[in-house]
Amino acid sequence: MPDGATVQGIGASVLRKEDKRFLDGHGRYVADIVRPRMLEAAIVRSPTAHAEKLSVTKPDLEQQRVFTAEDMLSDGVKPIHVISKYPGHKPSDYPHLAIGKLRFVGEAVAVCLADTRAAAEDLATQTKISFDPLPAIVDMVDAAESPPALVHEQWGDNVILDSLFEEKASNLDRATVSVTRTFRMNRQAVNPLEGAAVLAEWDAREERLVVHSSSQIPHILKNALCECLGLRQNQVHVIAPDVGGGFGYKCVLIPEEIFIPWVAMQVKQPVRWIQDRREHLIAAANAREHHYSVTLHADTDGNFIGVEADIIVDSGAYSVYPHSNILESTMAGRTLHGPYKFSAYKVRSRAVATNKPPIVPYRGVARPGICFAMELAIDAMARKLGCEPYDLRMQNLVPSDAMPYKTITGGEFDSGDYQEALRRAGTLIDLKAVRSRQRQDEADGRLIGVGFGCYIEMTALQTSAAARAGLAAIPGYEQAHIRLTPDGGLEIGVGVQNHGQGMETTLAQVACERFGMDIAMVAIRHGDTATSPYSTGTYASRSMIMAGGAIARTCDVLGVQIRRIGAHLLQCEFDDTSIRDACVIGPSSAVTFAEIARVWHRNPEELPADVDPAGVEVTSGFRPSPDNSPFSYATHACVVRIDPELGHVELLDYVISEDCGTIVNPMIVDGQIIGGALQGVGTALYEESCYDADGQPLSSTFADYMMPGSTHLPNLRVDHLVTPSPLTEYGVKGLGEGGAIPPPAAIANAINDALRGYGVEVVETPVTPRRILEAIAGSKT
Amino acid sequence: MTELSININGEHIKADVEPRLSLADFIRDRQRLTGTHLGCEHGVCGACTVLMNGEPVRSCITFAAVADGSEITTIEGFDQDEPMAQLRQAFHENHALQCGYCTPGMLVAARDIVTRLPDADEDRVRLELAGNLCRCTGYVGIVKAILSVLEQRRI
Repeated sequence: MPDGATVQGIGASVLRKEDKRFLDGHGRYVADIVRPRMLEAAIVRSPTAHAEKLSVTKPDLEQQRVFTAEDMLSDGVKPIHVISKYPGHKPSDYPHLAIGKLRFVGEAVAVCLADTRAAAEDLATQTKISFDPLPAIVDMVDAAESPPALVHEQWGDNVILDSLFEEKASNLDRATVSVTRTFRMNRQAVNPLEGAAVLAEWDAREERLVVHSSSQIPHILKNALCECLGLRQNQVHVIAPDVGGGFGYKCVLIPEEIFIPWVAMQVKQPVRWIQDRREHLIAAANAREHHYSVTLHADTDGNFIGVEADIIVDSGAYSVYPHSNILESTMAGRTLHGPYKFSAYKVRSRAVATNKPPIVPYRGVARPGICFAMELAIDAMARKLGCEPYDLRMQNLVPSDAMPYKTITGGEFDSGDYQEALRRAGTLIDLKAVRSRQRQDEADGRLIGVGFGCYIEMTALQTSAAARAGLAAIPGYEQAHIRLTPDGGLEIGVGVQNHGQGMETTLAQVACERFGMDIAMVAIRHGDTATSPYSTGTYASRSMIMAGGAIARTCDVLGVQIRRIGAHLLQCEFDDTSIRDACVIGPSSAVTFAEIARVWHRNPEELPADVDPAGVEVTSGFRPSPDNSPFSYATHACVVRIDPELGHVELLDYVISEDCGTIVNPMIVDGQIIGGALQGVGTALYEESCYDADGQPLSSTFADYMMPGSTHLPNLRVDHLVTPSPLTEYGVKGLGEGGAIPPPAAIANAINDALRGYGVEVVETPVTPRRILEAIAGSKT
Repeated sequence: MTELSININGEHIKADVEPRLSLADFIRDRQRLTGTHLGCEHGVCGACTVLMNGEPVRSCITFAAVADGSEITTIEGFDQDEPMAQLRQAFHENHALQCGYCTPGMLVAARDIVTRLPDADEDRVRLELAGNLCRCTGYVGIVKAILSVLEQRRI
């Protein structure tokens, strides 16, 4: 275990190596890159949610500058086609440009090229489309139960996959107290501040397609390009340069990543498309939307017996590459239990198709929804039993002495003390003080409430679990490529992609920890398929676990090779050498990495003839053994103040007690947690992609879609438990997503606590002033 | 076409521009100063904030033609600027940036705060920052960084 004392190794708050270019205005995002003779693309998009008999008329004088699905089909381009191995998953194609039918507002129909984006948009307005409208499928419950139409006619209904997760259901008979609630988490747009962006050109010298994309998964994008365009792997080079936030939106393939490169190959000029915010808010409104009917069963002492639920996930119109359109519904169905003990489980989960953009795995993936549903049901149960919600949670959380713990649905919690996280959050928020404050009325008539949200997050999806689901990207060993450079530094290639997580720093810290070298001498190269090992990319809170683990293990292999040369230079036995402070230490003297590197690279004549030809460059890898994922967890707690006249919610206090195992960089960990939490606050209170009854998006600007701003979150307090995972190098667990998971639960519970005098509850996110006032208006008191 | 005479980061520039061209597109596409970012192109997110005659403006909803005769400072134009140097260091030390996309606009807005409101407290800083969206940091590091520069400048 690292002792945390090293200045730049594991546990040190090293300031970020990547900051300078961003602070100076020298970050390089796709929109900052220009190529000679580059054309800009604008996209003609569907103005209707559902229609058939699509026909496109190109402007008379610009036929060569406008491209449609017909053009792609005649060239043999294959659609995106992702089905899982779950029995009953209904297959569908995701056309790059719409063919025959339109299935959501914003679906791409044609691409228009011009020297500037403005001129390309002019061309788009001259491109005419016609169609016969069909009734739109807008609501997920209607889509499942009483559909007005079919998104994909060949299915016969709109249910993509109907799954039943049932374990020991006969134990439900033991329950004596039950609460049933219906919950809804509404649709959101992910909204990284940089939207999607693609720049593609055919490099005639390299004889390959070069695609710059704002992507979290450059290698997976390369696979998709090869599959759809019929290219060999050696004909595609994908680069994800600086990426302005991703949060999951950029870990799926979007059609533009295929049709922009294809168009560039047709016109034999570089083509660039930069998604604008309106396009993002309309065509990329594709996260979160879940509906729950939950019954929580307990005995009279408050011991949870079981949970029954009917879950519907609005998966939108298409199945995305590589994660499909059933990732959310199956994850929600299998892990609704959260961090609690249950002896019975019966959950039906359906993914349904609607006339909305396809769902993508946004930060937290399904868990913000299941946490919201379970945690609100727990508070409802506490009110029914007349007990403190905090106590009910404490009583039912999986205790630390049960670790590793097999969940009722077959998962395995590796380590941790869930009750201690709750205990600390309760102390930090000072539950007793809030309860005593609540006993007096507030002078201004406002209402105080306190709420908790507990969650577990499986981080770094592993091989067998991904293979069981049959996803198009199954992670195996994650690899790192490390070269000792001629000056004794390290160049490390990784296939994950850094887009704000600070990995150019934290991954370097792993090498510093292993070798004791100055972090300035370690460079992390990522986001380029030509210079990094294959990887499924950055998603599922996996990069520190997997790429960090790969660097650690590869350093070990490289260390042996460095020691061999060092032993020769020190004229000692290999077994008598060790590595410290970037030196090979022998019995009586030491030799620096710089000296070893100089000899290998520049003065090989000083080496014996039988020197190991592997030299000072290695690719190796890591995956957890056994093939399980570490679970992070936390309790969030908050205090709200509500104005019952206006429905306004103010967050007075917010605390987080979390465990992401060994902390590599405390500053960056806090940054990830706080940033995630504010996104969760957005889910809880502000963000909603609204639709009208015809499926028209109503939240198409930042004036209509409310993003959390600087005044919306207090200086929350973050507290850390550190339970190293037995599965990973250094005991790290994933933490990129967790912050976004429980805020909707904790905040809605606090609101319901404040509203308890009215005997009403809010059950839907975002909890807007209107929804609070509607709840109060429904009060019988 | 409209004739434009403008000073960007100390350099005098004459150009013909379409009336519909935004100042942001002029800066980015015509001058190739790509530090100014576009986050929404409808004047809400603040990523495109630059100084126009010393005051912050949203270059995405300012026509280039309107900037005729003005002095523009973009993120690339602050290399000799003391408050900006302080802010850059403070942003670095307080982890006030993650993906970096909002950062140039955030820094220009922050420079306006620390020079115009030397006595600003945290509530005021948060209020002043409400015109700049950051999706990554939760604003905590940004607010801390600005407060630390305000503190430095009071000594």
